[in-house]
Amino acid sequence: MRNRVVITGMGVVSSLGDSPIALHSSLCDGRSGARPIQLFDPAALACQLSAEVPSFDGQQYLSGRNLRPLNRTARLVASAAKLALQDSGWSEPLRCEEEVGLVLGTMFCSLQTISAFDRRALEAGPAFASPLDFSNTVINAAAGQTAIFHNLRGINSTISAGTTSGLQAISYAADVIRSGRSHVILAGGADELCFESFYGFERAGRLCRSDDSAGDFPIPFDSRRNGMVLGEGAALLVLEDAAYARERGVKAIAEIVGHGSSYDCSQGTDERHAAEAVASSVQQALIDAGVQPHEIDCLSASANGSPAGDRHEAQGVFLGLNGLTRHLPVTAIKSMLGETLGAAAALQTISLVETMLDGVLPGICNLQEVEADFPFNLASSDNREIDMRTGLINSVGFDGQCCSLVLSRSAKN
Amino acid sequence: MKSRSIVVTGIGVVTPIGTGRKVFWTNLLAGRCGIGPVRSFDTSAYKVHLGAEVRDFQPELYISNLDVAHLGRASQFAIAAARLALQDAKLELASLDRKRAGVSMGTTSGEPREVERFDDSFVARKLGQIGPEFLARYPSHVIAAHMAREFQLAGVNTMIPTACAAGNYAIAHAFDTLRAGRCDLMLAGGADAFSRITFTGFAQLGAIAPEICQPFDRCRKGMVPGEGAGVLVLESLDHAKGRGARIYAEVTGYGLSCDAHHMTAAHPNGDGAVRAMTQALEQSAVKPEEISYISAHGTGTPTNDRLETLAVKRVFKQAAYSIPISSIKSMLGHTMGAASAIEAAVCALAIHYNRIPATINFQQPDPDCDLDYVPNSARDHNVQIAMNNAYAFGGNNASVILKRCEVAN
Repeated sequence: MRNRVVITGMGVVSSLGDSPIALHSSLCDGRSGARPIQLFDPAALACQLSAEVPSFDGQQYLSGRNLRPLNRTARLVASAAKLALQDSGWSEPLRCEEEVGLVLGTMFCSLQTISAFDRRALEAGPAFASPLDFSNTVINAAAGQTAIFHNLRGINSTISAGTTSGLQAISYAADVIRSGRSHVILAGGADELCFESFYGFERAGRLCRSDDSAGDFPIPFDSRRNGMVLGEGAALLVLEDAAYARERGVKAIAEIVGHGSSYDCSQGTDERHAAEAVASSVQQALIDAGVQPHEIDCLSASANGSPAGDRHEAQGVFLGLNGLTRHLPVTAIKSMLGETLGAAAALQTISLVETMLDGVLPGICNLQEVEADFPFNLASSDNREIDMRTGLINSVGFDGQCCSLVLSRSAKN
Repeated sequence: MKSRSIVVTGIGVVTPIGTGRKVFWTNLLAGRCGIGPVRSFDTSAYKVHLGAEVRDFQPELYISNLDVAHLGRASQFAIAAARLALQDAKLELASLDRKRAGVSMGTTSGEPREVERFDDSFVARKLGQIGPEFLARYPSHVIAAHMAREFQLAGVNTMIPTACAAGNYAIAHAFDTLRAGRCDLMLAGGADAFSRITFTGFAQLGAIAPEICQPFDRCRKGMVPGEGAGVLVLESLDHAKGRGARIYAEVTGYGLSCDAHHMTAAHPNGDGAVRAMTQALEQSAVKPEEISYISAHGTGTPTNDRLETLAVKRVFKQAAYSIPISSIKSMLGHTMGAASAIEAAVCALAIHYNRIPATINFQQPDPDCDLDYVPNSARDHNVQIAMNNAYAFGGNNASVILKRCEVAN
């Protein structure tokens, strides 16, 4: 007998809004978060677009406290945490009584901080490197800073698994609650935009090219796709033991009923292996949830416009759902939010919860022509009205990590 | 009814005092020290110069499916430790259900040398030297990915970068993954490469020992940054018995907590550490006085060792004075994300051999550190249950408990 895991609150800071409702309505309006880069000088870069959180410094959410120790990633996380804690009624006095945990998925935490710390030592001498900045060079810094900021004394963990980080973090937290070890955990993910990581993605040839006739926007699953746009943000869910949430008189927004993960041993170099890894992760999530493929009402895909990655996911989901994808409503919100790395799958989760609440699945922005052999007849740029009881969230990483999660309308808790 | 017991059946280590279980254990019991002047980079601009580096590491001996030239140093360590652990466990990879075998690894910095190379190019205004290899080699998750690719393990694959407690976190996650029945076998541990960034940071915090690492000694002056990897083969007891595996120890439980107090300083009363140890004892259904050995975090900094002692006394009360507690960091330095994984391996070996490694360089007792730190000489001791403690930046605390596996004997 394992405990049920419900979502009792959500917090989001994204390029398309700072509440689940604002995010959902932007996605349903087909708005794109991609804009000319403001955060750093893009002169040396071919790709000139990113999906930044506009004019963000954290003050608007975290005012009245000293924010100097918090870098951009930590501020994104602490802001999303504040919104999620408010949404779920985890007030400051309650957090003193109960140990609230935090499990954060992040790919880099802050490559900018790490690199700037090192460059300062190189240019001015090691005696000029900042001890404060050093404490923020560790990859668990944002989780640590957020725990200090909000007095989160429970399990504090950081998961790093590329673009699957956020979904792995939610899965990890769900298992901790299922096993009865914790009652309440903030779980999700975050990554910041910075020159250093942007440059890495550009040099790796993963960003969409602006010299192409398809334009410079990511178009998941479209035959014209040529890469992704890099984005940023933070998204956190408050996960609670269902019985515990009921006792404290809080409404469950949705339930996490299962998850699965797998690894593609070819690291994306072999099409068949890559698709089978996605399929395995989907199948394990369904088995864990006790759900049959035909019961999945919609898919929030990981697809970000990458030529190979989107193909592997399309084929993998087809295999994983026993071919039942032709009439499956599907969305790919990275068409609008860009690839937000650690935040990505947590944003997908929040977006899908909103779809469950209002029955509208956002279309895939700019999608015109689904790649001919992709098994998604219903993928389109139009929104779709659906009655979603059970949805699948998928996350496929750059280096072979795959993760899937099944979300359900919560039985009255 | 399937057993939910999780056992350690293989140990692989790459450390400043030796690579491979046998060499490492022999050197550890002999009190060999792996600390010396840093060779990886020029430290003349620093006030401190000590490091615990892995010397004469030959990655080609352990890496056969991937191209060594495409792997960062931490990934190389991790794959080597994993191969040694798999060999130690006498696992036939061919007979393994690859979809039910996974990887859970911890690290502090991932592959920091890749960022350092980026920074060197940036400062020299030659960023054009940085190519696609940066993204392929740098992000910390590639360590777990490379291990899985080398050994073709298609199950759970995750990286837990919770700094200096990461090894324990990774073992705890593997433990949960196995208990939940998501995999039959996990490679769990930690890896870090010696890093200019880490060295600079600890030097600026004034935390690096100038001459000698002497945890719990009255004159202790700091820690020594190190590098290495430790990997354990963890499997369900049923799986281990099914293949007739040698069992070193059982992992019985863990505790994780957060100080929520300060990024680099522990809670002044050791609160978080106390909660982590208490949870680990509760989950393991073990009473404090039943613990026969504590592997300390024991970095050698004045504050860590004092607060760790305080926390142990708060949990163990009078029993604290009769439980041997030692810090192998006196010999290995602080191997960062690898540290608590290597120390978990030491706990398993202490149980297996009934031997406890010493805290070397112990000269003068400190009134604030008044426990039995196993000074200077390894000791024979009946080790039934061992506790492995690790603390990290971000206020992350992790305790893991290992126990002699009755079924195995």
